[in-house]
Amino acid sequence: MKNTIRTVFTRQKWLPIAIANVAFATLLALVSPAFLSLSNFQSMLVQSGVTAIMAVGMTFIIITAGIDISMGAILFFTSALFAQLMLDTQSYLLAFTAAMCCATLLGAINGLLVIRFRMSPLITTLATYSIYRGMAIHMTGAQNIPVPREMGFLGNGRVMGLPVPIILLFVIVVLGVYVLNHTRLGVYARAMGSSARSARESNLPSNSVTVLVYGMGGFVTGVAALILLARVGGLQSGIGIGIEFTVIAAVILGGTKLTGGSGTVIGSVFGAFFLVLIDNGLNLLNASPYIYDIVRGVVLLAAVVVDRVSARRQEQVLSALRASRLDEASSSRCTRGRDGEQALLGQR
Amino acid sequence: MNGNTTTPLLSFRGLKKSFSGKTVVDGISFDLYPGQVVGLVGENGAGKSTTKNMLCGLLEPTGGQILVDGHVVERNEGHAHGISAVHQELSLFGSLTVAENMCIGSMPGSRLRIDWREMERIVREQLDFLGMDIDPHATVNSLGAGMQQIVEIGKALLHADKVLILDEPTTSLTAVEREKLFLILDKLRDRGIAIVFISHFLEEIYRVCDSYIVLRDGQQVASGQLADVTQRQLEALMVGRSFENSPDTIRPVTGSCEALRVENLGSADFRDISFAVQRGEIVGIAGLMGAGRTEVAEAIFGLRPATGDVHVHGKVVPERSVAGMKRLGVCYLPEDRRVNGLFLNRAVRENLSVAAISRFIRRGLFKLGFSGERQATQAVVDSAGIAIPHINVRVDALSGGNQQKVLLSRWMATEPEVLVLDEPTKGVDIGAKFDIHTRIRELAEHGAAVVVVSSDLPELLQLSHRILVMRKGRLVGEFSREEFDSVRIISLAASVDDKVA
Repeated sequence: MKNTIRTVFTRQKWLPIAIANVAFATLLALVSPAFLSLSNFQSMLVQSGVTAIMAVGMTFIIITAGIDISMGAILFFTSALFAQLMLDTQSYLLAFTAAMCCATLLGAINGLLVIRFRMSPLITTLATYSIYRGMAIHMTGAQNIPVPREMGFLGNGRVMGLPVPIILLFVIVVLGVYVLNHTRLGVYARAMGSSARSARESNLPSNSVTVLVYGMGGFVTGVAALILLARVGGLQSGIGIGIEFTVIAAVILGGTKLTGGSGTVIGSVFGAFFLVLIDNGLNLLNASPYIYDIVRGVVLLAAVVVDRVSARRQEQVLSALRASRLDEASSSRCTRGRDGEQALLGQR
Repeated sequence: MNGNTTTPLLSFRGLKKSFSGKTVVDGISFDLYPGQVVGLVGENGAGKSTTKNMLCGLLEPTGGQILVDGHVVERNEGHAHGISAVHQELSLFGSLTVAENMCIGSMPGSRLRIDWREMERIVREQLDFLGMDIDPHATVNSLGAGMQQIVEIGKALLHADKVLILDEPTTSLTAVEREKLFLILDKLRDRGIAIVFISHFLEEIYRVCDSYIVLRDGQQVASGQLADVTQRQLEALMVGRSFENSPDTIRPVTGSCEALRVENLGSADFRDISFAVQRGEIVGIAGLMGAGRTEVAEAIFGLRPATGDVHVHGKVVPERSVAGMKRLGVCYLPEDRRVNGLFLNRAVRENLSVAAISRFIRRGLFKLGFSGERQATQAVVDSAGIAIPHINVRVDALSGGNQQKVLLSRWMATEPEVLVLDEPTKGVDIGAKFDIHTRIRELAEHGAAVVVVSSDLPELLQLSHRILVMRKGRLVGEFSREEFDSVRIISLAASVDDKVA
């Protein structure tokens, strides 16, 4: 029984964060009855939507042992491009297509730089972060640009009673789960993060996978950008600053390892929701807004510490196994042929 | 074994490989028939790895012919020719499942969807074929080393199923796991797969193989049926006659002042290691790769956690660390000097003086920097015979031998009382090797206690007063200079049982 529970936990890496969500939500419900209302939940889901959508893309990138610091800049660039094109041409079709293509392209460029120059993804995307944001400011002349009123549909509209951002999040999550678990791309991504050396030796298309996951990261960031733009009502210079860290925090809280190899899309979404839950809780407590960042940081730190401790415990188990094997190796002698088979049958 | 009437699956004729003019392997010729198991044996550095890489198509030979199914081929295509290899370091993905690992090279299903059912069917079939009961859904890092090895073999055979090359497959396995592997190899042989088995352990060769090839110094010195040769003869073939020559005389140890004592050192990789070294004595530690020699050396310097005590000059060292040991005059030269010992992108001068830099520091209000460093290092370079244009050359521009001399000179400049050297002449040419040996001897004559860990047995026979033999994490033998016998030492290091062959 205990073993089964452990197996479920090691297989379903999103479970701990899901449980944390439920526990924390229960706590908040006990403190404040207002918390439990449907409208509060819907507004929290919408709040977490932008982060969660981006976290789906970031999960893939981190699973390949990469990272994309420039996501916030891609978000800003896409918003700026869309707002500027709408202002200049009034064409939704053109603005949408250009914004989505551009977002995907900027992500893919990160991937290309990483594979072409074998640079650390951290440094590469730190550089592109600065470049993309700079380009956007240059393009708009650092002006605030309002978007047409009907854009609000993307951020606050409803289809069949459901908020549009939540529908978009749902679609992206389903696609993300499918790609990660049922396509070669997903398996290759996990394989690359697990061992780059083995991936090379097994002739996996590591380069294409890298470009694809960064491109996908760019694409979902594009979707997030349009939702955010619609919710805010226009381009503002502060859009997307620091959002990549919230996204990375959500992914790490969701149980994805920064060293790559394993992680789940669902976990990252729960991670994003947990961060909003914390904000909500602080709000209920009437905490000073300056405290929010501190609490978020502490929670992330705690998640990483827990992750490290469990990894170290796993290592200790492995080391004990090695030691016991050493004893066994020196005490048992090499048995041969038929006798060996007998001995094995006895052991099993 | 039985296939002398059929065409060989794979034949090599006079295969040769040189790296930048230096011939590493020369004149390998053999035929591989279906159902044949060939043992490829030789000492460390005999050319087994190079031969293996040419066999599986990773390296292109610089001479000779390769025949596949009786036809000469331009290039060894490896997989395309049905040849697969399991290397010492497995190419598995720890966080993926067994099924994903085995099928990763050719996943069933379309671009948009993996056919998990088909994958499971393939994997179950393959595991049944191997006679293994492994859950295809288990992640690989939840399996023991033996199971991982078998998953790797299953993966290899999915891609190519005519010739299987196994490189030291048993080093990380327990006795039980090993026997299981051998049963699987027997089964594969019965199904007509040709196997090339590379191992240090001659008992294993006799257990699984029917024929053998002995490599020595890159030459194929013998081959034939195992039934025609005794283990002792095989050992003699591996070691070669030249090593039986009586080594140079060395000055015996004078006085009996104990400099280093190791008591009951133990960790995950070794057990119950106890030995002592006198001043002026050179003690060699022999053993195969993976016997735990380097780990012991690292444990003495606190580089890996271990239980037990280390005494220096009769006093227990409370907390072992490289810096602490250095203060006691105990120095360590690690095996991989490029990674662990040298500052590759810095000048020879800095590399030489760094361990003793405190001596050169000038103190004073208007005095900064190091005085006398230049002269002192120049003197060292001259006396050690390091061949460099000037002392500000970057170390990574130097040859392996010269790099090793720099490292050795650095520590000698601190006038160590105990020196532990791990593979001091690995990858070094003969001349430099001679110089390094001379320096080690000089040190000992000046009263230093020296421990040399080396896979090069002739080197230990020549250099040491005493040789300790390690096998699988334990000290299994000790030989004083009068008792030196290379064949006995090798068979002790490589035997599976505790009794000496």
